[in-house]
Amino acid sequence: MLEFDDASKRFAALVALDGCSFTARPGRLTGFLGPNGAGKTTAMRSVFGLVEVDSGSVRWRGAPIGPAERMRFGYMPEERGLYPRMRVREQLVYLGELCGRTSSDVGRSVDTWLERLGLADRANDRVDALSHGNQQRVQLIAALVNEPDLLVLDEPFSGLDPIAMALMAELLADVATAGATVLFSSHQLDLVEDLCEDVVIIDHGRIVLAGSLDEIRAAVPERFVEIRYRGEAPDWAALPSVEVVESREGEARLRITGDADVATVVAIARHTPEIVSFAYQPPTLSELFRRAVAA
Amino acid sequence: MTGLLQGWLVARREMLERIRSKGLWAGTAIMLLVVVASIVVPSVIASDTVTRDVGFAGTVPSELPAAIADQGRAVDVTVRVHRYEEVAAGEEAVRDEDVDVLVVDARRLLWRGEADERLRAVLSGAIQLVAVHERAVAAGIDPDELLALVAPVPIENEQLGIAAGRSPDDEAAAYVMSLLLLVALATYGQLVLTGVAQEKSSRVVEVLLARMPARNLLAGKVAGIGLLGFAQFALTALAALIATIVVDSVDTPAVSGAVLAWVVVWFVLGYVMYAMAYGAFGSLASRTEDASSVAAPATTVLIVGYWASLVAVGGDPESGWSRLVSLFPATAPYAMPGRIALGVSTWWEPLVAVVLMLAVIAGLVVLAGRVYAGAILHGGATLKLREAWRGTANSTR
Repeated sequence: MLEFDDASKRFAALVALDGCSFTARPGRLTGFLGPNGAGKTTAMRSVFGLVEVDSGSVRWRGAPIGPAERMRFGYMPEERGLYPRMRVREQLVYLGELCGRTSSDVGRSVDTWLERLGLADRANDRVDALSHGNQQRVQLIAALVNEPDLLVLDEPFSGLDPIAMALMAELLADVATAGATVLFSSHQLDLVEDLCEDVVIIDHGRIVLAGSLDEIRAAVPERFVEIRYRGEAPDWAALPSVEVVESREGEARLRITGDADVATVVAIARHTPEIVSFAYQPPTLSELFRRAVAA
Repeated sequence: MTGLLQGWLVARREMLERIRSKGLWAGTAIMLLVVVASIVVPSVIASDTVTRDVGFAGTVPSELPAAIADQGRAVDVTVRVHRYEEVAAGEEAVRDEDVDVLVVDARRLLWRGEADERLRAVLSGAIQLVAVHERAVAAGIDPDELLALVAPVPIENEQLGIAAGRSPDDEAAAYVMSLLLLVALATYGQLVLTGVAQEKSSRVVEVLLARMPARNLLAGKVAGIGLLGFAQFALTALAALIATIVVDSVDTPAVSGAVLAWVVVWFVLGYVMYAMAYGAFGSLASRTEDASSVAAPATTVLIVGYWASLVAVGGDPESGWSRLVSLFPATAPYAMPGRIALGVSTWWEPLVAVVLMLAVIAGLVVLAGRVYAGAILHGGATLKLREAWRGTANSTR
């Protein structure tokens, strides 16, 4: 388990982390969200000693993190970087060896990953001879060569096409299922909502929301009705405790104000002549995010 | 243990990557070529006898051609003789460069432009000799007896050099060693500089530093480039030695094993000191192309230090100034081996210099390490030394 305990970091006049506390648990995907400049990269770098926190602590399995622990971690920085002129396989083996593994041992892992990501035939090419997408894959393998217990990825989905994105999502889920702790930052809230069990939202260096997505949603009293219908749009705004969030031809999203009331839901259903689909939901991650960050 | 292993892995990568690059081999080939050529070419030129064409017009004493050939042989000049019936035809031959000089009536030498001093000496010596011979015969003196009387006494030339008991060969050795150390420190320091700047600009450094402390990375890089540089220099020195033995050049500086051992010590110490400084400067640069200008302070100290030691030790290796520059860490790598080669340093001076140097290196490891760690992850414009020192550098997100 990775723990941030009241961690703070200041760069001259800028407060990058302001008493951050949250955890990322093994076997789960934790999404790390926040607007640009909120402190995500600083927090991730502090796990690797690339930034030292001024106060508070960052702990792994209850103990402070040192070089020996970091050899069991994998990291994909936001600014991707590899030796451009080094060959793919050789570079990955080198990065694995730096984590204290023997070259034959790490070589096997590298070959497996290259095979899985469809790069086996490019193993002996120079990194700068690869396409942007393939370089991203090599970068991902670089974070995985030591079969890490903790995997931290800074914006792993940025710049990926939809197919690569699906592949990345599947891979991260597999790594977590195998028992690793996975923490990654992203701006793609829909994707995080689908993929992650846990989320952490940071804003201006402060953690504004953290925990299991299900629990967070359950704890929020607010509920929404997502409705599709045929025919003319009814006048839902006339109903008590109903606010129209969004209304388009044939579909609408309604917020139930005040305490969620079954009577209100039934009233909405009755008010709509021909329903195609009807969903009674907690807020989406996107709504939770906007609210947490605006507060 | 882990630190040593990581340092070794970094050093090994540095060496392997460079050994595979064409640049290293081209550089080594050029260096070998220059060194071997600078030893072989002068000896080839020096040992080769020169051939000169001499024209004669007017009266030619019968012994003169033979006397010229004799005199020429003594100074490695082969003389070919041409005769001209008319002075004008001879002059024409001089102008057309068919002959180098025209001897008229054994009294006048006609050149196309400036006189060739060596040939002039050969010709006038031969003419004097023949003239003395003729006068002796005319005066009834046995010419051979006379020649024995006027035979020159051999006079020895000896070069004292600038230090008692040391030959100019030792001075040449001291000079060459300082120069080699300058070249070595500048070359390999530059490699550390660009290596660090490249890792920063390609961003791979963040991946690396996530798995090892900055000191392991910097130490491994400095060690790898240093080992390779040392091998390259040893190879060049070996080539120079072989070339010297083959051409049997007379003015090869006689360098003792002890002096060579000291050169190695100063190479290592000087390299580590300057490499640390270059590593710190390299981390400040935002682009590889800017690295050299950012590192200008280190390069200035390197070159000014060389000139200071050259002026001091070349002037008077036993002066207070020379002592000072040979002890001062920035100049010691050039000045101390020079003074050791000249045999003017006391036994304790090199030891004091080494201790001072080690102290400076220890300080630099801490200072350069802090600057490096503060600057290497900074994304924006080239940093000032002070900003990196304060660690305000990585103020991104």
